[in-house]
Amino acid sequence: MFTALLNWLRSLLWNKQADIALIGLQNSGKTSLVNVLAAGEFSSSMIPTVGFNLRKVTKGNVTFKLWDIGGQPRFRSMWERYCRGVNAIGYIVDSADKDSFPAAKAELHALLEKPELHGIPVLVLGNKNDLDNHAKVDELIAALGLASITNREVSCYSVSAKSQRNIDLTLNWLLKRA
Amino acid sequence: MQAYKKDEESGVGQFFQDKTTVIQEARVFNETPISPRKCRILLTKIVYLLCVGETFGTQEATTLFFGVTKLFQHKDSALRQMVYLVIKELSNIAEDVIMVTSSIMKDMQPNLEVIYRPNAIRALCRIIDGSMIVGVERFFKAAIVDRNSSIASAALVSSYHLHPISRDVIKRWANEAQEAISTKASGGPMGYGSAHQAGYQAVQSNSSITQYHALGLLYLIRQSDRMAVTKMIQQLSGNKGASGMLRSPFAICMLIRFAAKVMEDDPNVQRQMYELLDGYLKHKSDMVNLEAARAICEMRNVTSAELYRPIAVLQLFLSSPKATLKFAAIRTLAQLAQTHPIAVQTCNLDMEKLINDDNRSVATFAITTLLKTGNEASVDRLMKQISAFMSEISDEFKVIVVNAIRALCLKFPAKQSVMLTFLSGVLRDEGGYDFKRAVVEAIFDMIKFIGDSKEAALAQLCEFIEDCEFTKLSVRILHLLGVEGPKAPQPSKYIRYIYNRVVLENAIVRAAAVSSLAKFGVNVADLGVKRSIKVLLTRCLDDVDDEVRDRAAFNLKLMGDEPLANSFIRDESTFSLDALEAKLTNYIADSDASSAPFDFNAVPKVSKEQSLENALRARSEAVNSVATASDATGVDASTARPSAAQSQSAYAKQLAEVPELASYGPVLKSSAKPVELTESETEYVVSCVKHIFAEHIVFQFNIRNTVDAVQLEQVSVLMSPSPETALVEDFIIPIPSLAANSSGTVYVSFTRESPEEYAVGSFANSLKFLSKELDPESGEPEEDGYDDEYQIEELDLSAGDYIVPSYATFATEWDRLRTGANAQETFALTALDSLKSACDTLIELLNMEALGGTEAPTSTSVHTLNLSGLVCGGGGKVLTRARMTYQSGKGVTMELTVRAEKEPATQLVLSAIA
Repeated sequence: MFTALLNWLRSLLWNKQADIALIGLQNSGKTSLVNVLAAGEFSSSMIPTVGFNLRKVTKGNVTFKLWDIGGQPRFRSMWERYCRGVNAIGYIVDSADKDSFPAAKAELHALLEKPELHGIPVLVLGNKNDLDNHAKVDELIAALGLASITNREVSCYSVSAKSQRNIDLTLNWLLKRA
Repeated sequence: MQAYKKDEESGVGQFFQDKTTVIQEARVFNETPISPRKCRILLTKIVYLLCVGETFGTQEATTLFFGVTKLFQHKDSALRQMVYLVIKELSNIAEDVIMVTSSIMKDMQPNLEVIYRPNAIRALCRIIDGSMIVGVERFFKAAIVDRNSSIASAALVSSYHLHPISRDVIKRWANEAQEAISTKASGGPMGYGSAHQAGYQAVQSNSSITQYHALGLLYLIRQSDRMAVTKMIQQLSGNKGASGMLRSPFAICMLIRFAAKVMEDDPNVQRQMYELLDGYLKHKSDMVNLEAARAICEMRNVTSAELYRPIAVLQLFLSSPKATLKFAAIRTLAQLAQTHPIAVQTCNLDMEKLINDDNRSVATFAITTLLKTGNEASVDRLMKQISAFMSEISDEFKVIVVNAIRALCLKFPAKQSVMLTFLSGVLRDEGGYDFKRAVVEAIFDMIKFIGDSKEAALAQLCEFIEDCEFTKLSVRILHLLGVEGPKAPQPSKYIRYIYNRVVLENAIVRAAAVSSLAKFGVNVADLGVKRSIKVLLTRCLDDVDDEVRDRAAFNLKLMGDEPLANSFIRDESTFSLDALEAKLTNYIADSDASSAPFDFNAVPKVSKEQSLENALRARSEAVNSVATASDATGVDASTARPSAAQSQSAYAKQLAEVPELASYGPVLKSSAKPVELTESETEYVVSCVKHIFAEHIVFQFNIRNTVDAVQLEQVSVLMSPSPETALVEDFIIPIPSLAANSSGTVYVSFTRESPEEYAVGSFANSLKFLSKELDPESGEPEEDGYDDEYQIEELDLSAGDYIVPSYATFATEWDRLRTGANAQETFALTALDSLKSACDTLIELLNMEALGGTEAPTSTSVHTLNLSGLVCGGGGKVLTRARMTYQSGKGVTMELTVRAEKEPATQLVLSAIA
């Protein structure tokens, strides 16, 4: 009887909600990553996201709302709208497509300059590290100029949605920010 | 009525919402966790505000819209449905609505058995653009044939809305739409048995409304192809005896409308469609019966035998307890009575009963219809009845009543005194301009057509202008008094009324009164009257308004000068106003022309009767359309065919936009209507308009590409003139590219070798172009095309192209031109089989005005046709007299005499016949 009440109280105190915005250039693997985080399924045939997708994921005592925003140029102006007030921003980069790094860097820095997003922690994920020519974490940090971001917490992991590498690491990071 | 008021107080009044508060409250969308109840209430408020006409700014709407998108993926189905409703409403105002596409498409997944799937489909069609339709094609095709009728209907209606955005993609969904029509009644208890357990409780509708939606879409896809529409109607209506596959009465009604339209366009299928409609008269739904009866009543050239059954159906409805049915039936009968009063007579007894109907609209229609169908004896009684409630009906219905009476006056002239009493009675009632105008025009008609009523009617009008608040009507009445008054036995009686206006009214009316007085002064022979008019006009010279003073001074001068008065006041011809306007605009636009005075002789004249007739025709069309109120298939008054002169000035404007033709000077004449050079159903539809310039001739080819999947490039027309034609080709202005289902214009210019002569001849023509097929996916033309030629019919350049019809007083002009250029020749026209056809051919060939009604022969053996015209480009007047005799077997023998101001004109006319 006492334990039940304690559990209920505990759940009231510890069950948490978290909003996470997942952004990044087109074809960097945001929707795939969301699918892997939510259901552990990877599908190689994806269509570009028009607008955004919303998935709810419960891990432990935290319920995440994952806002997966389309990465095509026409949607980039709307990233900010969906990043406002979230617990963390996930910025996905295709680490095997080194040509896209300058654009990714420019978009990321432009976004983080917005005053509304001040202080929101950012997790940069170099996706597709199952491919041979992918960039290492250090290369990514340098290419995206992450060292110059000082006004918030920034982390960078190299992950793969396909081989599910470092997905647990990512989840842990997110759980901590909830 | 009372219940409604109460409703308004308790319901709407309490639900008053303020936009600012609602926008403030929109914060609940961002709360975690989301409260479905709060959100739903707020969404309802937003929809409510939009529905009562509150406007949201783009910024406000966008903020709300993105707030709403935060609610996606919530478990609460009712909230989800509400979200879609709001998205649909906001999608027109907010920016970046494309953001929700992916989220919506997730809810549209075919295997997802959720209640909000139809809502998602309907919302999607509001937010996607043309480029994305291909992406959702698969979803839509599946949804259209879904077993659930709400999903199928949602998909069909959405496709209907998407059609204007992407015609070609939607076209590919025709098979699915067809299937949706033929699917058996959807959504029985078996439909989603398993889904019920999963909490899915979609309302299963048993109506076959899907058929209605599917039929609408199918028609939209096929509407440009008449054959396909005909086939569709036949297929869906089933064969005779069989009931056909349509169950929804709405769908059948729509099918009937399509059938009526097809019938209108193509008389060949009329028989077949009539049989179909006739079958629907026996359908079990009232709606279908009514629609079919109405379609038959509106059929072109409907015979009384064909009308028998639909009228019987309508007659039955007249005694129905349902007010709507009664109204619909009586309205159809009222309209039919305008054209077929005899056929409607059978319903007289039933209509009599409706005279005292509680519903005033029904009663008005009943009475006006009875007025048309009844006999002379019943008129008095009906008039009494109608005057009893004239004050209770709205102006629109009053106009209908007045128009009915107007028609009645002409039908039963003996009853004119009753009608006039009625009309003058209602003239004194309160009423707006349209109503008063209808009454005044009815009285005008009585004056014109019923001699006996003239004096009494004029007296009524005189009394009316004593206290008339509408300047326009006063002016018209004063004008009429001026025309009719002098012919009356006691003209001086009217002068007092007219002069009262000069004393009491505003400047516009005063000016009209002065002109009217002047007509008395000129036309009344009595010297005493002349003298008093002079006195009155002299007093008007001191008026404060300059127009009034001018008119008075001018008319005083006229009264002293007989020949001048003749040409100004008694002249019975007038300029064709459209033509005059066009010429004057040209004159002002052309800087070189201002050195010379404006040439009035070049403006074609019409008789006053003709211009009156034109005005009358336009008016009677307008009257008819008022009588039939807003009718979906009726003739729209504003689409009345533009007169020749109007199209003339339209062409001039079009030509002025072509820089290559700028140096040619003003266009002297354009042919009145385009000559069709192809059949109207061919792949490329070509028509030609001929424009005559001082030294050039320009042929304007209007080309329409009706082939769906082909783009034409470098479209030009090759014209080869017959050898004797004195024309030299200058250049062709081709159409660079003509997309599928669009129109364009090719100009071909020729120089007239000797402008003083009129070149005639015929041209062989062919269309030349580069044909490129369109990629069915992207709609882009393919790189390579092939050259193609397309033979079109020959084109003649003849006398008629140089002549403008113009009115003249034949006898005097004929005498005057006795000394001018003269020519006479006799022709034997064996091919013609009557004098009437000879007259028609001649008028069409020469494009001249027939004078004094001579275009309609009164005898079958001998006839004289008098024609008058103006040769363009300063060719002067030309008159033609054709004396004809007809003998069966030998055809028409004609002696043609031509008199003109200049020699070439006579040759031109003779050459046209030879």
